[in-house]
Amino acid sequence: MNDTTVNSTICPRCDAENVRVLTTSPVPGRWTMYVCNTCIYSWRSTEPSSATDPLAYPAEFKIDPADIPSIPAIPTVPPRRR
Amino acid sequence: MAYADLREFLETLDRNGQLLAYSEPVNPEPDMSAAARATANLTDRGPALLFDNINGYEPGKGRVALNTVGSWPNHALMLGLDKDTSVKDQFFEFAGRWDAFPGPVERRDDAPWQEVTLTEGIDLFQLLPLFRLNSYDVGSYIDKAAVISRDPDDPDNFGKQNVGIYRIQVKDKDRLGIQPLAAHDIGLHLQRAEERGENLPVAIALGNEPVITTVAGMPLAYDQSEYEMAAAIQGAPYRITKAPVTGLDVPWGSEVVIEGEIIAGEREIEGPFGEFTGHYSGARRQPVIKIHRVMHRRNPIFEHLYLGMPWTEMDYTLALNTSVLLYRQLKAEFPEVAAVNAMYTQGLLGIISVKQRFGGFAKAVGMRAMTVPHGLAYCKVIILVDEDVDPFNLAQVMWALSVHYHPLHDTVTIPNLSVLALDPSSDPAGITHKVVLDATTPIAPEERGHYSQVVGNPEGTADWENIIKGLLK
Repeated sequence: MNDTTVNSTICPRCDAENVRVLTTSPVPGRWTMYVCNTCIYSWRSTEPSSATDPLAYPAEFKIDPADIPSIPAIPTVPPRRR
Repeated sequence: MAYADLREFLETLDRNGQLLAYSEPVNPEPDMSAAARATANLTDRGPALLFDNINGYEPGKGRVALNTVGSWPNHALMLGLDKDTSVKDQFFEFAGRWDAFPGPVERRDDAPWQEVTLTEGIDLFQLLPLFRLNSYDVGSYIDKAAVISRDPDDPDNFGKQNVGIYRIQVKDKDRLGIQPLAAHDIGLHLQRAEERGENLPVAIALGNEPVITTVAGMPLAYDQSEYEMAAAIQGAPYRITKAPVTGLDVPWGSEVVIEGEIIAGEREIEGPFGEFTGHYSGARRQPVIKIHRVMHRRNPIFEHLYLGMPWTEMDYTLALNTSVLLYRQLKAEFPEVAAVNAMYTQGLLGIISVKQRFGGFAKAVGMRAMTVPHGLAYCKVIILVDEDVDPFNLAQVMWALSVHYHPLHDTVTIPNLSVLALDPSSDPAGITHKVVLDATTPIAPEERGHYSQVVGNPEGTADWENIIKGLLK
């Protein structure tokens, strides 16, 4: 069970090239976790390709970064009291 | 019977053959989720699972407990009952203890989670073996922690302090996403904080004895204290300790206590997450928490909950608190209600046993279930059975439906009622028709059908049940 270095540059979910290392395994060299700064998707290098590879990630769970600002806010932010 | 902490409960499970410790190497994904899913698939009498050899963590140090209350024997042991106690008997025991609300709390200064404090360089992934639960969850979640907050307009009110369980996305080493829906008590706290232009302080307590976890999922009134309810349910004072920065009361026995605040006015993409409906929720922009401090026992156990297609552990932890709540609310107006089983998808489907006073009575009780507070979001399908049918025994319920229910006379459909938006059948999300299926025996003036010649039990059957139970032990 070693760190099989996988995709570390493109978000599997939103395809943004806005990825950074989230953290690494406490026992060094076992795995690396990445996170997308655009859609906050995260993955671990030891996961199957359906979680780590933009081409293998299922289409029905993909999102377009352009759609993120219009996703509904829940709960909405209330107006400040005067 | 009261458990001081998670570890004491795990010891009790172990003594009763209800804990499976697994020390072979496992990967964070997908091994532990698959094991929890498999346990739920195999049996409703399954064990808790404890993993201590997780890839990337020192063996024995990174530990994950799953399914701690995820079976009827474990649920009975939570209540301090014999592990073979029937679901119906657990229901009435739970209902009886509810009457002791409010129970006392015991304030202590010496909590075990004070052992280690982190204020800088916080990285939750180093401390806890966090992992993705379902394949297309957006990331790692915390979904079994008690989240504590206070009403910013009434911060000294102990009853308005809330202990609830909300899905928490671990977005970064020290940054979380949380789902405080407007209808939740914490949603009200956040609304008031944001109206004031203030962040909302929160404490997140992970790894607890099982009663506070069960009570935190209970739909209590806004000013009712979960700690005072936990004391009632466990039949002993509930131990709490103040968290140092926020001053929030947290369970004395927790493995880990996180302090931080929900950032006022901020919303950020969260989800999807595999939910209790057996479907993924979509993505929404939701509030975020900045972590300021983490306190923990040495080598804490990460207690986690696998969630997905029912049944999973969540269905056990919510089964009786939902059923008993509906039972109490219905019983207050209709003492003829004998028992309520609302443990299917948190009460989207419920079964009520009732002694009919006159024809049409059961249908009225069924419609009332839809208008109690919990019913506004649930109770989409309500099945009524006679008082001598055990609503927890599905064989009996299916018998009643198959021979008492007449589709023409016994179906009441009520259009366009409210339901929780997570119900994937609701259209638009949050609106649905609801239905009462009346499987009680028709009585006057509703005289129809041929029900006079029921086959009863042979004489002495009840005695023989005890004899055979004893012989099987």
